[in-house]
Amino acid sequence: MKYSLVIVAVLLSMALLLNCMRVTEGIEVDVAYQPAATPAAVRTDLGYRVRLERAMIAVGRVELIRCDNFVLDLWKLVTAARAKAHEFSSPTSLGVPLVIDLMESAGVPLFAGTLRPPPGRYCGIRVTGMPADQDAEGLTDENLDMTQNSVFVAGRVEDETGEAPSALLAQISEILPCEMRFDRPLVFDGPVLESVSIQIDHRKWFDGIDFALLDSTAVQQQITENVRSSLQAVLPIEEDGL
Amino acid sequence: MRLVKVCWVIAALLAPFSIAAEASACGTCGVGDPTLTIVGFEQPKSQRLRTSGTVRHRNDRIGEAQVDELRLAEQRMEFAGAYSPSDRWTLSLMMPLVHRLVSAVNLAEADIWAPGDLEFRARAVVWRDRKFAPRHLVSLIGGLEFPTSSIERDAQGVPLPLEFQAGTGSWDPIAGASYTMFSDPWSVYAASIGIFPTKGTADTKVGASFRQTVLGQFQPWSFLAFQLGVEFRIDQPGYIAGFRDPNTGGHITYGTFGLVGLPHDKVLLHFTAAVPMIQRLDGSHVEGLAITAGLVYEI
Repeated sequence: MKYSLVIVAVLLSMALLLNCMRVTEGIEVDVAYQPAATPAAVRTDLGYRVRLERAMIAVGRVELIRCDNFVLDLWKLVTAARAKAHEFSSPTSLGVPLVIDLMESAGVPLFAGTLRPPPGRYCGIRVTGMPADQDAEGLTDENLDMTQNSVFVAGRVEDETGEAPSALLAQISEILPCEMRFDRPLVFDGPVLESVSIQIDHRKWFDGIDFALLDSTAVQQQITENVRSSLQAVLPIEEDGL
Repeated sequence: MRLVKVCWVIAALLAPFSIAAEASACGTCGVGDPTLTIVGFEQPKSQRLRTSGTVRHRNDRIGEAQVDELRLAEQRMEFAGAYSPSDRWTLSLMMPLVHRLVSAVNLAEADIWAPGDLEFRARAVVWRDRKFAPRHLVSLIGGLEFPTSSIERDAQGVPLPLEFQAGTGSWDPIAGASYTMFSDPWSVYAASIGIFPTKGTADTKVGASFRQTVLGQFQPWSFLAFQLGVEFRIDQPGYIAGFRDPNTGGHITYGTFGLVGLPHDKVLLHFTAAVPMIQRLDGSHVEGLAITAGLVYEI
């Protein structure tokens, strides 16, 4: 009986032992959006001036693209059209929806999240614009219409003379997968912290549009194309190792 | 870290000696049967007291490879004592010290050493064919796992997922029954155990688990026995904050091979390898080889 009590005491005292945890960070890629500052008037390549009143984009998914997975990525590009507003995150993708108000961002980077991919070579990143869901970051009472739209633009367009300004309204509700290639592959073979900046240059959204000739549908189509091409993935400048 | 690990393993194996340094008895002599049994399988005999130290190693893979897979390597050092206050009752207490190495696909690692959940079990022999040296024993088992494990949290104080925890952090009742047959040199052990976890760490609820064990033992010599058996486990899915964890639930069957040796009257050594034979675990969840080695000291 004496030994029984000793054993019980020893076992119970083990429960009081301190825990110890050591965490080693692995491969991490910080992703941030970097919208361009919005000027008072955007001058297009055809000479029009666009005075923006509202300009917003909603992004629902960011995904790293492997260099050696072209076929799979093509499939994902197709299936992206079926994407839903609130996507699940994985080590190579962020499913955190975000509404970016380009009128207020003024060139300030917006942190999207951290990807934790497995080792490999990554050649690009895919950003999917899509209508926001109800708990999207950046969604307010003033921009609730972003639950229906991927891109929303409102403003006035003036020609070169500045006379007879016309109203501009573009509401793009379709899902916009935008694939961007890095200028160099990201090669991960060990724990490292990398960062990717996704630049959004909405000053180019109205290039190639002849507002005097095109109807609103054609204008919206061209803006959709321009939104896709206005995104650019930028890596930090690589040190030369000297 | 490696030195600490080695110290724990040595401590696990030597603890029974240190506790019972002054005691002396012959366990198999006292119960009238020469069958070598590890803690939990033994014949109850009034005032029989045994301690044990066991090291268990296992591997798990959870999630999709190259996407969100977590690899888990776990070593549990289980310190236990079993005391029989009468010829029909055995009370046992087991305290695990757990080491877990969790590796993510992005090469991040979490190395955790922590006390696990204390487990208490009571076994009552409800039927036996005779009082001394019984050949057939039917027992009922009841018990409880106590939430003694520490809760691992991230830098913001939020509890980490269950894979990073040394225990469930919940009060888990245990109920079951066992049958043991002793017919020297053969013996058979069959047990059905159910574990019914309550809500635990990080708003996690581990699913109820049913385990069936059948072991046959052949003991050609008084000092060595061979075991062959099957272990079946079926789990209900687990839930995190009310949402089903897709990689939990299902069933798995292990084939086991073991050795039990008696190097000294009071010391019993055992080794078991459990190989997964049928895995029908839900989601992306693969369990690997499990190895158990231990020492039992008869006080």
